[in-house]
Amino acid sequence: MNTKPDKQNIISFSLMGPESGAPCLVDSNDGRITRIRPYFYDKEYTDKYCNPWKIEAKGSTFQAPDRVTITPFGLGYKSRVYSPNRILYPMKRVDWDPQGERHPENRGKSKYVRISWDEATQIVADELKRMKETYGPEAVLCEADMHGEGKNVSPAHGCPNRLLSLMGGYTLQMRNPDSWEGWFWGAKYVWGCEPVGEMAPQSNLFPDIAKHSTMLLFWGCDPETTPLGVVSHMPSRLCYWLSDLGLSQIYICPDLNYGAAVHGDKWIPILPNTDAALQLAIAYVWLTEDLYDKDYIASHSYGFDKFEDYVLGREDGEPKTPAWASEKCGVKEWTIKALARKWAKETVSILHGNGGPMIRGPYATEPARLEVMLLGMQGLGRPGVHQAKVLEWSLWNRDYPVPFQGQFVPKITQIADPLRPVDGDVDPKINMNRFCLTEEQKKRAPELVKLFTQLPAPKQFIPRVLIHEAILNGHAEWRGLQCFSSSQQPDKNNFRQPTQQYQFEEMQYPRPGLSQIHMIWTDAPCQVTCWNDGNKSADAFRHPSIETIVAQHPWLENDCYFADIIFPVCTKHELEDIGNDMSSGNFTSIYLEHKCIEPRGESVSDFDVCARVAEKLGPEYYDAYTDNMSDEDRVRFFYKATGCEDYMSWEEFQQRKIFVVPCKTQEELDAIPAGLLKFYEDPDNNPLTTPTGKLEYSATLLEEKLPDDQERPPVPHWVESGVFHDERVSSARAQRYPLLCMSNHGRWRMHAQCDDIVWNREVPTMKIRGFDGYQYEPIWLHPSEAEKRGIKQGDVVKVFNERGIVLCGAYVTERLIPGACSVDHGARLDPIIPGWLDRGGAINTITPENTTSKNATGMAVSGFLVEVEKVSDEEWAAWRRDYPEAFARKIDPDAGVCLAGWMIDPEEA
Amino acid sequence: MSKIFVVDIARCSGCYNCQLACKDEHAENDWLPYAAAQPLTGQFWCRVEDHVHGTIPKVKIHYESQLCRHCENAACMNACPAGAIYRREAEGFVLIDPAKCTGCRACVTACPYGMVYFNEQKHIAQKCTGCAHLLDAGYTQPRCVEACPTDALRIVDAEPVNGERVVYKNRPGRFIGGLVYDPVEKEVIIGAECTLSGGRITLTDDFGDFWFHNLPEGRYDLTIQAEGYAAKIFQAISTEGQDVNLGDIALDKL
Repeated sequence: MNTKPDKQNIISFSLMGPESGAPCLVDSNDGRITRIRPYFYDKEYTDKYCNPWKIEAKGSTFQAPDRVTITPFGLGYKSRVYSPNRILYPMKRVDWDPQGERHPENRGKSKYVRISWDEATQIVADELKRMKETYGPEAVLCEADMHGEGKNVSPAHGCPNRLLSLMGGYTLQMRNPDSWEGWFWGAKYVWGCEPVGEMAPQSNLFPDIAKHSTMLLFWGCDPETTPLGVVSHMPSRLCYWLSDLGLSQIYICPDLNYGAAVHGDKWIPILPNTDAALQLAIAYVWLTEDLYDKDYIASHSYGFDKFEDYVLGREDGEPKTPAWASEKCGVKEWTIKALARKWAKETVSILHGNGGPMIRGPYATEPARLEVMLLGMQGLGRPGVHQAKVLEWSLWNRDYPVPFQGQFVPKITQIADPLRPVDGDVDPKINMNRFCLTEEQKKRAPELVKLFTQLPAPKQFIPRVLIHEAILNGHAEWRGLQCFSSSQQPDKNNFRQPTQQYQFEEMQYPRPGLSQIHMIWTDAPCQVTCWNDGNKSADAFRHPSIETIVAQHPWLENDCYFADIIFPVCTKHELEDIGNDMSSGNFTSIYLEHKCIEPRGESVSDFDVCARVAEKLGPEYYDAYTDNMSDEDRVRFFYKATGCEDYMSWEEFQQRKIFVVPCKTQEELDAIPAGLLKFYEDPDNNPLTTPTGKLEYSATLLEEKLPDDQERPPVPHWVESGVFHDERVSSARAQRYPLLCMSNHGRWRMHAQCDDIVWNREVPTMKIRGFDGYQYEPIWLHPSEAEKRGIKQGDVVKVFNERGIVLCGAYVTERLIPGACSVDHGARLDPIIPGWLDRGGAINTITPENTTSKNATGMAVSGFLVEVEKVSDEEWAAWRRDYPEAFARKIDPDAGVCLAGWMIDPEEA
Repeated sequence: MSKIFVVDIARCSGCYNCQLACKDEHAENDWLPYAAAQPLTGQFWCRVEDHVHGTIPKVKIHYESQLCRHCENAACMNACPAGAIYRREAEGFVLIDPAKCTGCRACVTACPYGMVYFNEQKHIAQKCTGCAHLLDAGYTQPRCVEACPTDALRIVDAEPVNGERVVYKNRPGRFIGGLVYDPVEKEVIIGAECTLSGGRITLTDDFGDFWFHNLPEGRYDLTIQAEGYAAKIFQAISTEGQDVNLGDIALDKL
């Protein structure tokens, strides 16, 4: 092959929607992708015109390298494009007949036949019309989401919502803040910090930390893992630099995670989801030894006396001593005291990377709130005292902890809208219109105005965490979650709204006068492996009330196995698009993404899947849906709308293919206060967005609205068990299921994405090849726990509780605390018994069904009870005897589950 | 210009990018006459090894990217009866000519580092080419190097060191560590003096921890002393083939 590529394109590696990702160079030859490399900046150009940022501290300088620090997902994406798991043509479940028997009970078992685009789109159009006429438009549940390939002119998520809005409505699936649960449902009550609940703003934090902090706590945080699908490897470089500056890095987590392994000066192993106990004991030491900032508490907090009463045991007769905590969290009493005193002595910031073991468990609100309170006791907002994040470095285009923000934010407009609140649910003053054109964009790109006509909001929604309950019970009730993260794009007019208030309203499904759901259309088919109690989801998908399930996706995986009609979608590399780098940390940039290869098989973009269905519905739908605009036109006009034309003409952009936004000057950056500095300096004039404007050690909103909630009381508590969860080692359940299972975001996957990159799957911590040649998902076990159970490295084991069984490959390691096991979430389902036994390692199939707590509508998917046993020969034999079809499905030796495994052999048909 | 690879183990985060980039370049891509395509999986011309040291909670990991050393006196070249293995003038990399290779496997056996692989389908031996096909086309770095996010893996203009074109910096030695505490007070003991045979002394830190890093393999005696406590002596701690976490060590009050 020629070393010189026929084509060299810039394409994002982007796995978390349109605002994530960073540019890669993708070479192709003879219509096939040859290689994917990091993007290199033209240094001559950027040095001259782009004012590269730098951080200076303690006589040392930190700068971005001359190239994007590409991650394994970007490098390995060729394997994703050519995955044997790609859906190449429209398909229909073989025993689903829209004119006759539908066999919902066979979803997850029966295979597929290829059908034509014409037939598939006609069936779906007919079903949509039938639903609307028979039950009303709300009978169609649209399961769209946010994570997924970052595509702009043809987005991966939300296109069905757009079409269904044109048809008169649908039931919206409302995403919960799945990586932020404890912050969103808990920490907001302490410090506001809308809309996420993690510290905000994050501005200029790393320069401040480099200058002023002396110690960093990585609390359930892995800077070598979670940033990889969202940012880049820049956090890794940053951690090395902070070590060079002499900042000690302490890791508090059940596992020696990948960051701790190379950056940690000390690892304090803790049992999964017991952080609240440790935090309370630290507060106890500080209170009893007078090691906290009393003046700050006096001027910056509300309700501290009530917190003090609880910690010291005046409230419940139980002082939260280190000895008390040690029993619960597994950290030795002497280490708890040493940590508390060391923390008080040093200038400490806490680092987070989302999705770690602390924030997604049952009652995650409590450790989230307690962390903020501890930071408060040490003078939160003081130089060097922050909660900083190793990812989401451009959240809301507002928070830049690393100062790479440009002199302006080039905003790519978003054409599809999967996350809007239901009409009337949210105060119209709060601008939720992330998905429409701003006045300025309308002026710049009038060609887009018609395409961006604001469509009516849906009338009914179900939180994603309650979809299974809603289907299986026919109704559901919950509080809040009218919209994901309350305000999608906070600005000076809305982000100071006290949006915690939206967590109290009592909601229900179905709404009076509206239909239950009878059809599902998903463009985010990962419920079974990424959400709570995936086995219940499998049951819901097979429920007789669900007459039709439609999926559109590039890969046949997870929820796709439960679909009746499947549309093939092409990847980013097969499309014309405009890309953006908002978060990799080099620069902010906008680039032209030309297609590298033709779409594989008969796949088309998500946008065009819905356009083809619209065509069958009638020309008026097609015209309204597409405005008869080509992909190329949308690219052109989207560029116009970004505002970059003031700096680089369309013609020059076409030639250069990238526009790099000049960074702010050092003077401009120095003028931005780091984090909550202003609150620290003058809380009365710079209040937080809590009702009192102070740090609330007893939450006034909870005092007012839910004072008797035992699972999320006004003062955060250690909740041993409650009405919603019984997942502690003290539980009677622990007799049968003694291990606390931790489920982190994966090192080699981004949620459900990239499980099939064949080169990742060769890494020992990604998959373990079992005795039968199958690549199993690893389960980490400490040697002492493995030995008790007669388990050896590489053994195929079953991880189980009352909710089902997941098969894994044993990874026996000193990197995990005894008493726990660890399986990353997101492995692709390979159902042996749908709803009960999974061979693929999808650990979320056996996570708790209930939400974070009774009144917190998040999900609790880490820190739950299981047992692990080696699978016996007899058990294997029985499964193989009873489920021969499941074991007979073709498995690709390198990529795992694959399309061929689920297709009816044409001869057989 | 003679080139060598430099691997700084202290800066390697274990991201595997080098291994993955190598596969992206060579798996199922033919770069004849430099190299035939590698099979989709199974060969590791650049192979990351992870070494886990110690026991909970004193566990450290170091990663090492194993690359062909492009040896000056190359065992593979010496073993090849077909004259298929040659050294490039340009920078000194050692390549196997896929056209001349007869598939006798002598080089696979001969390589002391296990860096030569055998392609069963094509019946040839294969290994790292230093991405010579790219260097000849004007690239300045092989794929593994440019993919390294932390600059732990670099290629530099230099002569071979000890006859090899891969140099490893900062490979850690063994460690002995522990934590010292008072079992009655249930407090860590800060500032306890830990003396290792051979004369190394360290004080326990604010967590009661002590570490002796980068020790040669051998046997060590350790004495832990703190004012007001009976000293504790550990004899003949072996770091042969292992790192040693002595765990939480209780000192009794005098």
